[in-house]
Amino acid sequence: MKWRGALTALALTALVVAAGAGLARSAGDSPGQDPVRAVAAGLRCPACQGESVADSRSPIAAAMRQVVADQLAQGRDRDEIRRWFVQRYGADVLTDAPARRTELLLWGVPLAALLGGGYAALRTLRPRAPRVAPVVTAAAAPNARTAGRAWRAMSVGLFALVASVAVATYHLDRPARQAAAPADPIAVAVQLARDLEAQHRYDAAARMYREALRERPDDAVQLRLAFVLLQAGDTAGATGAARQVLAHAPDSPDGLLVLGLAERTSRPAEAERVLRRFLTVAPEHQAAAEISRLVGGVNRVDATAPPDTRSPAQRSR
Amino acid sequence: MLADLGTVSLTVGLAGATLTALLWLRVALFAAPARPARLGTAVTLATAALACGVLEAALVRHDFSVRFVAENGGRRVPLYYTVTSLWSALDGSLLLWLLVLAGYAALLARRRYPARLHGYAMVVVSVVTLFFFALSSFAANPFRVVSPTPADGPGPNPLLQQHPAMGVHPPLLYAGYIGLVVPFAFALAAPLAGPDGRGWLRAARPWALVAWAALTAGIGLGAWWSYAVLGWGGYWAWDPVENASLLPWLTATAFLHTTLARAAERAGWPTTLACASFLLVLLGTFLTRSGAVSSVHGFTDSPLGPMLLGFVLLAVVGATVLAGRRPPGPVARPPVLSRGTAVLINGVLLVTIAAAVLIGTIFPLLSGPLGAARVSVGPDYYQRTAVPLAVVVLLVMGMTPALRVRDRAAAARRLVLPGGVALATVAAVGLLSRPGLPALTAFGAAAFVLVGLAREVPDRLRQPGPHRRPSRLAGLVAHAGIALVAVGVAGSAAYGRDTERTLRTGETIRVADVTARLVGVDRGGGDDGMSVRARLRLTAPDGAARTATPALRYHPARDTAVALPAIDTGLLRDTYVTLIAVAPDNGSATVRLAVNPLVGLLWAGGGLTALGGLLAALGATRRRHRPPVPTHRPARPAALGSGGVR
Amino acid sequence: MTRRTLRRPDWLRAGPAVVLALTVAVGTLVALGLRPPATSTAGDIAAGTPVPAPALSGVTLDGGRFDLAAARGHVVLVNVFASWCGPCRDELPLLVDAERRWAPRGLRLVGLNIRDGTEAVRALLDETGATALTVLRDPDGTRAIGWGVRGVPETFLVDRDGGIIDRQRGVVTRQWLEQRVAPLLAG
Repeated sequence: MKWRGALTALALTALVVAAGAGLARSAGDSPGQDPVRAVAAGLRCPACQGESVADSRSPIAAAMRQVVADQLAQGRDRDEIRRWFVQRYGADVLTDAPARRTELLLWGVPLAALLGGGYAALRTLRPRAPRVAPVVTAAAAPNARTAGRAWRAMSVGLFALVASVAVATYHLDRPARQAAAPADPIAVAVQLARDLEAQHRYDAAARMYREALRERPDDAVQLRLAFVLLQAGDTAGATGAARQVLAHAPDSPDGLLVLGLAERTSRPAEAERVLRRFLTVAPEHQAAAEISRLVGGVNRVDATAPPDTRSPAQRSR
Repeated sequence: MLADLGTVSLTVGLAGATLTALLWLRVALFAAPARPARLGTAVTLATAALACGVLEAALVRHDFSVRFVAENGGRRVPLYYTVTSLWSALDGSLLLWLLVLAGYAALLARRRYPARLHGYAMVVVSVVTLFFFALSSFAANPFRVVSPTPADGPGPNPLLQQHPAMGVHPPLLYAGYIGLVVPFAFALAAPLAGPDGRGWLRAARPWALVAWAALTAGIGLGAWWSYAVLGWGGYWAWDPVENASLLPWLTATAFLHTTLARAAERAGWPTTLACASFLLVLLGTFLTRSGAVSSVHGFTDSPLGPMLLGFVLLAVVGATVLAGRRPPGPVARPPVLSRGTAVLINGVLLVTIAAAVLIGTIFPLLSGPLGAARVSVGPDYYQRTAVPLAVVVLLVMGMTPALRVRDRAAAARRLVLPGGVALATVAAVGLLSRPGLPALTAFGAAAFVLVGLAREVPDRLRQPGPHRRPSRLAGLVAHAGIALVAVGVAGSAAYGRDTERTLRTGETIRVADVTARLVGVDRGGGDDGMSVRARLRLTAPDGAARTATPALRYHPARDTAVALPAIDTGLLRDTYVTLIAVAPDNGSATVRLAVNPLVGLLWAGGGLTALGGLLAALGATRRRHRPPVPTHRPARPAALGSGGVR
Repeated sequence: MTRRTLRRPDWLRAGPAVVLALTVAVGTLVALGLRPPATSTAGDIAAGTPVPAPALSGVTLDGGRFDLAAARGHVVLVNVFASWCGPCRDELPLLVDAERRWAPRGLRLVGLNIRDGTEAVRALLDETGATALTVLRDPDGTRAIGWGVRGVPETFLVDRDGGIIDRQRGVVTRQWLEQRVAPLLAG
């Protein structure tokens, strides 16, 4: 049977060589993967959140992909291209370079796990000299005293757990508690609408505010409605709501603010006038800085980031 | 009315869970009769079920005076999605969590185990239940009354109203997550229970297998959902929520395997891994439910974050103190070249992968306080850490069938054929197509595993043993599933092609050998937003032509556009079309056309893996019934190699 | 003997102790990380030492030629814009007005129009009254990337020696023009 063994060995050797060739061929940059994509996947899209240039659909990312393609066509390699981008955008542009110092964590933790686990496995397989047979401390049934103590400790612990959750809720969830406290139905509706607003459900929030307003007209609520409508993209509704407030409080800063923001697209000249008025009426307003920038050239930022139209209450959080 | 009933049921449940924990403690400490404690557990389950039922009833009856319904219900929402909206937002999903947890507690209470082990394990489960009842009652009560009652609600998140799988995916995932509480409870109970605790692994194993199978299926379904419904083009984005489900899966897998190696068991590996698995479940809940790490799946910020964090820390400290008490068992020197070694090596590797995924997931939380920018870690990091390690895991996994044989020469002989096929695969694939190093090694490793398993089948079926045939094949089935998943992942990553272009009507886009021609664009309004469809004619090389209509649905309430992909599923590859943008005049559309080969293997492999887990669970339960559980004999790991997932 | 082992706290073994210490450390870090991050300073970027401006030359929209190198001695505002960007539309009049006022003192304004169609730009210029604007076209956006543009609009301030001394991400404001551009023109 010797020839059989030899034959197997020969076949295996041939296979190893062939597989080695296959691996070596693959180790080079594979034409299989789109090289542009490969490089772009390592770049962070500067106009987006947490997306790579390869995945993002923003125009800037598309332009960056084009740059990568052009440079690859000129024969530059991956590292050169990455350096080129780092020169222009800083090290943050690389998806795999979050931060120099803390980056160590990303590699150190798995390495520590590997080494620690490996050491433990080694100890398991090749234990040191057999130690004195360990005494199983908890093996004996607990005597009455220990059991009693454990019982008392545990019962206290359980109640402490429940109590701590209750207390933590009390301290952490104030707005929710305020919602439960007042029996005033309108205040509740307004609170609910605020919750919805915080969840970015502007349409639903607007519905709730309208409901509250039907019961009891209130300028503050009307203003919130206007803000929410603005958020929901209903500029006409926002304009209407803001006008209602301004009708009896012509210098209401928030009313001017919403009106100005809402009319920016439909009547830019009028909007600028209103926003300027807002700035004169309330130069100290939280939104004033932003608005003065807006009025300087009216508007800011690209389409992915709409101008900051959060309501004043949200800003102050 | 319903709101009051719900609040009352939560309060009664909280009291019941507290009482139940104390009753079980009496069972464990004073050998009190277990009957009252069992009753308490049943009552707790009843209250959890009642709370869920009340919220469902409120949802279905559109009772908008209940806060959760006012925020997540809607009259226009179809009945099915009204029912599933219970778990479409934070507070309701916590109720589902409670129901599943109380269900596991009730099932565990009904079983017979040595009294002290059972008692302590039930104390642990009850304390966890208690904590979640407290969360639901105080911090996230969905039953707070809204007044005046709104006329209508906004409906659940539109992303969660797109596919019927919404009814299956979260409950399955929860069943997996929460099932891991049972091995955790046994692991903590064992050192406390003294001699009663020695059989804990055998008691915990069926539970762990069921939970693991559910978790596997849940993860697979989640990946499929991501691919077929969310339409961003892939199935796994290393998103925090996906990572949170993967983490306990990795450690639970390691746990299941170390229960098969006696040396590992003695040294306390299963204890550590069982604890780690459930602690990672809790940590994942914290990460995803608190809004701490932003994610596409994440719910909004809430006061739950700090509380969950506190509980995670408490659980870690408690588990360490309790499990750390147990001194290592008597030493044994297993042969180096044995299955025990392979299991340990893979255990270490799986833990390392879990560590990499964990640190990558929580990195944004850590980097802030450490003075760096809060940046999230991209897929590149995971591809450089987790993927190579996973290939090694596959290779080691492929060796185990051969290592069953004690004789080294025989073991080596048994490796010749799988090794040869693996090398041939690498050579052929590498020389013909250059898929890249990770994919190529994955192909080789998968071939190695599959051939080794195929050789093993006849042996397994011939093997004498008390249990039925299917469960003997459980391990093989699960491992084959994993190998198929590996082929699917590597193949779709290496051979997937895509391109994106703006097409005018009549123009074509081409990827690989598939051509798509834009036939037209249709615009339509809907109740919950506007939608645009593109009609494309796909032409495959064989001349067959099909129509694909990807759509883009805009949801004004969230100001997001969701791409609904059109997938033409084939045997070996999918053609995947997504609509990215449409010109205002409908004259042109930006379309992404992708050809994803071997994706089908992912779903098939995932299904096989889960099936393997289930078969093993069946085998393990059946075996537990045959011989009565020995309480005084030191436990041997459940019948080495006869039917477990190895 | 039993008492002794009972008294020595078993959980002080190395492994558990390490786990506990790590838990406390990570828990503290995460708790700190849970606090909302400080508001990012998105808008403006502080000016540093001037960096040499990348080359920028070519045929303008109206058929002339522009070369940034030839504009040495002038203060140049390079405004990256596109017709598909709403805010760009809004800021153009302000920029054109600034050039009109300050051209005698040596200010030049050049628009870098990225990923856009010729007709669309012309329409935009007509609409905003900026027909006289010098526009260089960058259909695939690669020139803008060469300048390190992060979004549209973005405006670079190039001093008389051809160095970028400031950049404004987002919309240019009158305040910015007064504070950053005007001083350069004084000398």
